[in-house]
Amino acid sequence: MKKNGRGIATIMFGFGYGAGFPDHSIASAEIEDEGKILIRTAAADVGQGVLTTITQIAAEVLKVKPEIIQIIPGDTHLIKNSGSSSATRQTFFTGNAVKEASEGLLSNIYHYASIEFRSNHVELGIKDGYIFRNDNPNNKLSYWELAEKVKESGDSLKAEASFFPRTDKPDPNTGQGEKIYVAYTFVTQVVEVEVDTDTGIVQVLKVYTSADIGKAINPQNVEGQIEGGTVQGIGMALMEEQVIKEGITLNPDLTGYLIPTSMDTPRFATRLVENEDSEGPFGAKGVGEPATIATTPAIANAIYDAIGVRIFDLPITPEKILKALKKRETENKIGKKEDF
Amino acid sequence: MMAEGVKKMTKRYVGKNIFKVDAREKVTGNAIYTEDIYFDNMLYLKIKRATHPHAYLRRIDISKAQKLPGVVKIITAADIPKVKNFGLIIKDQPVLIGIGQKMRYMGDALAIVIAESKEAASQAIGLIEVEVEKLEAISDPLRAIEKDAPLIHQDGNILDTYYLKKGDIKKGFAQADLIVENEYRTSFLDQVPLQVEAGVGIFDQETEIIKLWVATQWLHDTQADIAQSLGLPKEKIRIIQPVIGGAFGKKEDISVHIYLALAAMETKRPVKLTYTREESMIAQSKRHPFIIRMKTGVTRKGYLTACQVEVIVDTGAYASSGPAVVHKGLYHCTGPYNVGNVKGVAHIVYTNNTYCGAMRGFGATQMAFAYESQMDIITHRLRIDPVQFRLQNAYSIGSSTPNSQILTLGVGVKETIKLAADIAGWKE
Repeated sequence: MKKNGRGIATIMFGFGYGAGFPDHSIASAEIEDEGKILIRTAAADVGQGVLTTITQIAAEVLKVKPEIIQIIPGDTHLIKNSGSSSATRQTFFTGNAVKEASEGLLSNIYHYASIEFRSNHVELGIKDGYIFRNDNPNNKLSYWELAEKVKESGDSLKAEASFFPRTDKPDPNTGQGEKIYVAYTFVTQVVEVEVDTDTGIVQVLKVYTSADIGKAINPQNVEGQIEGGTVQGIGMALMEEQVIKEGITLNPDLTGYLIPTSMDTPRFATRLVENEDSEGPFGAKGVGEPATIATTPAIANAIYDAIGVRIFDLPITPEKILKALKKRETENKIGKKEDF
Repeated sequence: MMAEGVKKMTKRYVGKNIFKVDAREKVTGNAIYTEDIYFDNMLYLKIKRATHPHAYLRRIDISKAQKLPGVVKIITAADIPKVKNFGLIIKDQPVLIGIGQKMRYMGDALAIVIAESKEAASQAIGLIEVEVEKLEAISDPLRAIEKDAPLIHQDGNILDTYYLKKGDIKKGFAQADLIVENEYRTSFLDQVPLQVEAGVGIFDQETEIIKLWVATQWLHDTQADIAQSLGLPKEKIRIIQPVIGGAFGKKEDISVHIYLALAAMETKRPVKLTYTREESMIAQSKRHPFIIRMKTGVTRKGYLTACQVEVIVDTGAYASSGPAVVHKGLYHCTGPYNVGNVKGVAHIVYTNNTYCGAMRGFGATQMAFAYESQMDIITHRLRIDPVQFRLQNAYSIGSSTPNSQILTLGVGVKETIKLAADIAGWKE
């Protein structure tokens, strides 16, 4: 028989390394030849989209089209440390460093342009990579023309910035401290499942997500993180386990180690909470890891709602479900009362 | 705080769905991944792995393998006496296991075979003869912490212990009308990025710089780990980031890097090493399996009063980022709920399983399975609507976490509960 159930889970995730571990990002922005603005950062794009996030931040601050922003590929000898692409930290840390570096570059553009135009800042306007005096917008200088002039004066148009917030090492005996993580992301998911009581197979039908991520720099990208994270959570909940017995892995391949496929992917509905109330760039917080966390417990709770049995060890395989159903059936026959 | 009625500044690019900047390259096949990098005269590596999960290496005979046509050189621990251990937080991972040293899991490396072709390298691996003195292989962390268990590392099988103590746990349970106590277990997971570990290395004889093309989540830290292990200044290791084929935590640790560096220095030729999926699963980090014993106290009206948690975490043969994973998990034990009285202890334990490291959620993922299952059990026992229960316990500005960190900014958790329930059409 097929039975439907619904479960909910709410989670929090303190992001950044936290707990007093030094955590910083360095980035720089400079006017580059051939009409580009170069951003230097070592932030690794593992598919999560940090390069796109940085591009949008730099374009926003510098008032140029995203195509103008160029990010040089990671290289230990050409760029400085931006920390790891882990701990849900890149949007917050490198995002802030890039924002500040871009603001630094913009300040320098104003500074040098004000010399060229013999004006104060308030008289200057900026649009699409050009700077001009508001009273004569036709007499404009592109960022690159300005960079040439600055170069002639023996200086260069660039800025470097970093983001290095403090966290505290907690007391070793109590874990107590004033600031353990830079900020927290929150996610709630409601999951609908269908459980086949004959086969024990669970199908996740629909996943409703709301995430407080402060501000989505790229909403579609945030949704992508949530959907990918959810599918990974489905794997953890229902099928994934590297079986290691006496130190030997029994299933070291993707025939024996199952991961979700497109056939296991549910329908999604996602709403973001964007209060723009974090210290991240434009109020943004990280989403990478919290995107996967609520899914597993929400599924476990939905399975309980569907069939009234709870599995305490992951993954919740069809075998475990059938065994639990059988056990309950036997207990019902002998009249043992269900605990919860 | 933005005043009511004040229009937010409009933005041109932030908050917009601009096209991913690297999408075109990826979907057209133009993106260069490590696997795509090829140099003339390139050699291929293959790693001879441990033959038992816990054993002393007594003899290694590479003579037959060395005679195989196409084999250029086989590096064993005897060739690299100055190379040191590596590791993300604790330097406890040997590059190669030497005679008289211990292999601690099936991914430990015994020899690096360098050959003219992948086939020759693979074949040579099978010709290396190894004799070991077997020890008890410990697969269960609960066995590892028993007094008579053999030591996997010399300082004991408990790598570290973390504590949480907030409020008065006894008082918290005394205030509770219902106490729910359960044990939860999570499994070893592989991050399964599409791309397995792969790298290309070149030794520049003029500058004596080792150039490595290896996808990594943290360029400069990986550079430091390699340099320390090889006893070289940091600037002698140059890592160039190719396009990355997924990571999810698995590309934080050293994998192919040091083998490539050693082989490039030895042969002065370009070298390449790509793991098989099987090798990747056995040799590289896993998500830590957690055993979580959680006891939660709640009043009849559904207010949480106490949370007590004991955690035992299997980190496998090496520490990797394990200590950080464990305390992150512990510090998230209450979830986003106000609980005045918290007591927790978390032990991280060595075993002879594949070592565990970073994976999406870093301990907080495992812990959420426990606390959110507890919340569900409580709502059923008290017959309270789970949405209402969460709303009345959830954090707001001014709330205090298990670490007693006071939340001052960005606490939209109640809004997420309301919104998710709303779009799901949740009714009591």
